[in-house]
Amino acid sequence: MTTLDELFASRIAVVVPEAVGPTLAAELRARLLRTGYTRYALLDRGSYDVLAGPDEPALITALTGIATRVTGRALVLAEARALRLGPGDYLLAHHDRLHDDHPVELMLDLSAASVPGAEVHYRQRGRAYFRFASQPGAVSVVERGPAVTCNHTYVSKRHAGASVVRLIVLLRDAEEVDRRREEAEQEVARLRAEIERLKR
Amino acid sequence: MWRFASRGSGEGRLAEAWRAAQPFPHLVFDDFVAADALPALFAILEEEPVERYEGDIFTFEASAPEPHTEEFRTLRASFGNTLAPALSRITGKQVRSADMRAYAYRVGHYLLPHSDHQDGLGRVLAYAYYLPSPEPPEGGELELFRCRLAHGELVSTVTALLIEPRPNRLVVFDVSDVSLHQVREVLGGLRISLAGWFYP
Repeated sequence: MTTLDELFASRIAVVVPEAVGPTLAAELRARLLRTGYTRYALLDRGSYDVLAGPDEPALITALTGIATRVTGRALVLAEARALRLGPGDYLLAHHDRLHDDHPVELMLDLSAASVPGAEVHYRQRGRAYFRFASQPGAVSVVERGPAVTCNHTYVSKRHAGASVVRLIVLLRDAEEVDRRREEAEQEVARLRAEIERLKR
Repeated sequence: MWRFASRGSGEGRLAEAWRAAQPFPHLVFDDFVAADALPALFAILEEEPVERYEGDIFTFEASAPEPHTEEFRTLRASFGNTLAPALSRITGKQVRSADMRAYAYRVGHYLLPHSDHQDGLGRVLAYAYYLPSPEPPEGGELELFRCRLAHGELVSTVTALLIEPRPNRLVVFDVSDVSLHQVREVLGGLRISLAGWFYP
């Protein structure tokens, strides 16, 4: 019999060190900066800079390759974003979304330097079971179960000038993405039909 | 031990101050414990063990939710019994008892923004009493936020007030959906407090 703990432990959560070098990381940080971050500050949830959908197809393809090798799954991009946290910033677990289809989340640390205590925690029922410490150039690969949440820990104000930059890539099984696209298209068609009906 | 307004004396002014306080109802009392009673208070606290607690919104040391010693239980009861009647009259919210834990915030410790309000817990008023510290803290202020709600959701959070953790100071504040507050990171020294909630 498989216990819940065995199921829990079987999920993949690993750190791949040196996925990108410091030169490429610096180029990526500069490009993200040029594209521009947006400040998020609903403080009961988080305090950080965010850039949705960064235009980095080559990098994301390379990261998807890493995830495929680590998990053995055929994965495609579902969404990506970049976060930047400075002293005093954080992102709380209840601000994170739950996923019921076991997607794979990659987190690439693009920071220029390691920031003590600035970690990403994956939690199951509130308990942190996987910690990705500040490690420039490394990428974490995590298969997210349906009860898993993630938080970015508080960046201490004692580290003046610290800047944590993370590229977050969510990957889903290709079939799942097709299924979701089909569902979305059906929903759009249903709404269009409803609008037409109301017009009449 | 607790120097609080006796029935009638100044309660009208305190009730006015409570209602007028921004960004949400609160009161600050200095010299809350008579100087000659502080050694006895410290003697009780020295017997109460604290341990480290860490979550996505906090890192601090605290005593257990239920006191280890009879003396701390008596202290908790005395605090609740002394303050609850007067606070009920002042705030217009009926409270009868209080819980109490001892907290030690060391360098790097914090409690990120939250409201204290959770359905089913019955927290009506929150309080924090700051003890004289052998190493006076730098940082560790209680920060109150002004919140704006739309359709029951927080849509804006802005810093409104900083309350220094001065020794022998008691702060009492309202618990509601918009009583967003935090303990700012302690950057030096040691912040010692007793804190908890009043209940109906």
